[in-house]
Amino acid sequence: MWADGDHRRVPGDKEPQQHSRPGHRGARTMLPLLLLLLPAARGTVVTVGPEPALTKDPQLEGVTTASTFVLDQPRCVFQNYSDAVIWLVVTNDKDAFYNNATPGTPETAFQNFPDKVSAYMTLNVTLPSYPCPRPAGDITVLRVGSETSCAKDMSRPTCNGPLPGPGPYWVKFLALNDSGPVAETSWSMPIMLRTAQPASNISTGSGYRDGMIAITTILSILFAILLAALLAMLVFCGSESCGSSTFSKAESVSVRRYNTHHVYDQPCARL
Amino acid sequence: MAKSDDCVHILQGLLVFGNVVIGMCGIALTAECIYVVANSHGLDPLLKVTENSDIYAAAWIGIFVGLALFVLSILGIIAVITASRTLLLVYIILMLITFAFEMASCITAATQQESLAPEFLLKQMLNGYESSDAANNSGNEFTKTWDDLMRQNHCCGVKGPSDWQEYMSAFRATHSDADYPWPRTCCVMNEEQHPISLDGCKLGVPGYYKSNGCYDAISGPVKAYRGVAWFGFAILCWTFCVLLGTMFYWSGIED
Repeated sequence: MWADGDHRRVPGDKEPQQHSRPGHRGARTMLPLLLLLLPAARGTVVTVGPEPALTKDPQLEGVTTASTFVLDQPRCVFQNYSDAVIWLVVTNDKDAFYNNATPGTPETAFQNFPDKVSAYMTLNVTLPSYPCPRPAGDITVLRVGSETSCAKDMSRPTCNGPLPGPGPYWVKFLALNDSGPVAETSWSMPIMLRTAQPASNISTGSGYRDGMIAITTILSILFAILLAALLAMLVFCGSESCGSSTFSKAESVSVRRYNTHHVYDQPCARL
Repeated sequence: MAKSDDCVHILQGLLVFGNVVIGMCGIALTAECIYVVANSHGLDPLLKVTENSDIYAAAWIGIFVGLALFVLSILGIIAVITASRTLLLVYIILMLITFAFEMASCITAATQQESLAPEFLLKQMLNGYESSDAANNSGNEFTKTWDDLMRQNHCCGVKGPSDWQEYMSAFRATHSDADYPWPRTCCVMNEEQHPISLDGCKLGVPGYYKSNGCYDAISGPVKAYRGVAWFGFAILCWTFCVLLGTMFYWSGIED
């Protein structure tokens, strides 16, 4: 099943321990070298696993909406960091985020995003929430932006609230334990959300109107022609005069005059 | 006059043929209009939604006109063969009346095409569909009608649930996108009319939400209705030619 936000814990203090050595006379040249190496040695943040990505399997209709998007859960990514807390960093400027940011403070509060800060941290789950490997048949997704109840509640700075704009956003997972960040994924590809157009943009198609006008015009003309023809027919051919001039009926008999061969005024026949 | 006899016979033959075609087309028109009227139960909620009852008027006129055409075509065949002036005149006048009725039906059907187009319905739905809370049964008539339509036909929106995502709507103004990417009626419900899984519905997991649009459910009768307009138009054009020929024939015979 999908879980976004089980096992919530209040984050403890995470003051990074700064170790510094007083400079030895003979090690003056060593000092800059040590200072260079120390941050790397203290806070080595290991880049792990695949970067976060929008869920492709299964195909979700709501993988991006106007204010939410759906990521695959980071299963089998932070296996070596069982005592760390996994956070999701959402930002609209990926170069401006530093891993030493502390979740739950105004600098990473959801409510201050994006006006005052350029990134916020949310999620706050431990590794047992994401057992590895994931059970087959379960849908393991993480919906970013699903909590609407705390979107304006400043007392919940780690709220997983709906995103304020279409983006683009970059996300990454960050594992923090008591000594600071220990592992992270790379930044994801930029995620763009959907924007809604106004309904007036829908064109209702003038094709229908053209068809109606065509039908009406043509039919009216045809009907007018028929009425005119009927009128002409009745007026001019109402009498019998039309009939005989064109063609005759099949069964009418045509009488032809012909001269008979016999001539009746022969006086000789009487004798 | 052999030549004019041939002319007569040819004209008679043509008129008989024309009337036979009219008769058959009349039967076809009647059948199509009966189909539209009989399948209107799918269109019913949609027509309530578009407040459009002229669609039935055109279909009903079409039924009677089709029958009239069939009967008149038989009369016409008899009149042409017997070459009786009276019968032919009766035929012509009755045909003209039928022509006028079919013209009315055709123009009505063509005018209604626009209000059955998917874009028009989409615009209407986006502007009119508001709250869909089944719990408090609020919402106006339009919303209730659409809810009934979506429940009956297991569909969502006009083209699909993404209608609610792609366009702004009255629904979006009152319901946040994160909680309601699409109305609750688009979720697959159990017997008590609750979504089987609200999370699944909001995510858009196949099987927990209705993914097809309602326009598919009504596109059958809509296409048939379009046929009423255009088939009727074709019949009228043919009838025009036959009537002109009959008038010419009438004027050429003597009683």
